[in-house]
Amino acid sequence: MAEPINSNPTVLEEWQLPTRAETKNDCVELELGELARFSLFSPPPIAEPEADAPELTDDEIEPIDAQEIFDLIASISDPEHPLTLGQLAVVQLDRIYVTDTGSPDEIAKVHVEITPTITHCSLATLIGLGIRVRLERSLPPRYRIKITVTPGSHQSEEQVNKQLNDKERVAAACENEQLVKVISQMLATCK
Amino acid sequence: MASKPQHKDRVWQVAVHPRLPLVASCSGDKTVNVYRGPDLELVKDLTEAHTRSVRSVSWKAIGAPTLAAGSFDAQVSIWTNEPPTWEFMAMLEGHENEVKGVAWSHDGAFLATCSRDKSVWIWEVDESNEDFDCVAVLQDHTQDVKHVVWHPSELLLASTSYDNEIRLWKLDDDEWICVSDLKGHESTVWGAAFEPAPPQPEQDTGEVPHARLASCSDDMTVRVWTRKGRTGGTQPGQLPSVARWDILAEEWEQECVLPTVHTDTIYAVDWSQHGIASVGADGRLAIYTFENNKWTVSKIVQNAHGVYEINTF
Repeated sequence: MAEPINSNPTVLEEWQLPTRAETKNDCVELELGELARFSLFSPPPIAEPEADAPELTDDEIEPIDAQEIFDLIASISDPEHPLTLGQLAVVQLDRIYVTDTGSPDEIAKVHVEITPTITHCSLATLIGLGIRVRLERSLPPRYRIKITVTPGSHQSEEQVNKQLNDKERVAAACENEQLVKVISQMLATCK
Repeated sequence: MASKPQHKDRVWQVAVHPRLPLVASCSGDKTVNVYRGPDLELVKDLTEAHTRSVRSVSWKAIGAPTLAAGSFDAQVSIWTNEPPTWEFMAMLEGHENEVKGVAWSHDGAFLATCSRDKSVWIWEVDESNEDFDCVAVLQDHTQDVKHVVWHPSELLLASTSYDNEIRLWKLDDDEWICVSDLKGHESTVWGAAFEPAPPQPEQDTGEVPHARLASCSDDMTVRVWTRKGRTGGTQPGQLPSVARWDILAEEWEQECVLPTVHTDTIYAVDWSQHGIASVGADGRLAIYTFENNKWTVSKIVQNAHGVYEINTF
């Protein structure tokens, strides 16, 4: 590739990125508790569940949260640096907004604000498209995905936003083999 | 009423034949399906014509059932039903990239197509659907042209665009020109529809024939536009255009913005005998009626297609 557009970006180390364990310790403990209940050594009582404990069923409402979205997209590779979008802080946990009741019958919203490393980044639309493809592949169809650049972070903000949220243009772009190839490479680092 | 899981990818548009019990649908799976009523039995799937998503379909109102299908592969295919077979009649080439809309004029004499290449093309068609002549390439829009739609009884075409504008086009002698430019929407105009109107006598009564257009947009509004004035339009047998004192033009005004219903992009709008209907990404179907000189929302159907977006009527 030619000279990178931003040749010296600020980089975060992997351990500096937000994770579930770091932000919600009690959540992890709860999961461990769950695991213990299924342990072979102490089979869970078949007895009726405690009256005030919420019962887990198949229809259990399970909304997703910003951390889950972050985990899905932070590991996407930057198209020009051998780094992830999380490491470059192009995607940040506090710039992901989720509105979700968890009900499978209701439309939910995911809004991701991306922050290009430089304000004239010509790759902003490609990065946005990569994030959109990743989320559309990972989330059920009830999620409406909106991707914009962080206000003030790009000189053609309005143009980039309009393009990234025009589903006809997105659909057409996703039929472009070369573009799909580049996006596949970006997504290859996703867990 | 009926539910049809027929395509392998999103359905971009459906078109109901103006006279016959036929419905066509087109999809991201690159195919077109034709159904026959009243049970909407699948009578034909038109595959292998297009190499990319088929975005738009339109029925010709005149003669044997004839369908135009516009695709992201930049081409438009024409099909005619000569019972019992569906015959591939023509492939219209010329657009530089994705064709986003196709529409036949009410008299079947013209086909309009529009594309991401920012142009609207008008094709003149013979009755046998064998001969297509491109008679105009209109390049006034500054961005993708999303949709084209004809007036139900006049040779008046509307195009809507990513440039937030709606343009109206008419035939001036033998040249198609832009007769009006409707500005008001604050984002992409995804669709528009003219109010159904009975054919009007073409002699000049001095009055402006009533006409209204509804449009829908990414700005989450539906707007209604009214024709206020019209000049030019010399009829055959009258003075030739060089001797005319007036220029062909139409004056349209935004009558109103319909009450807000949608919370996301509105993809389609249409008229019925009851009023206007709109659908969009929020899964809502809204119906508006005109009573006491005012538009009001008469019905909202939430999640009319479950949790999916709605693209078309």
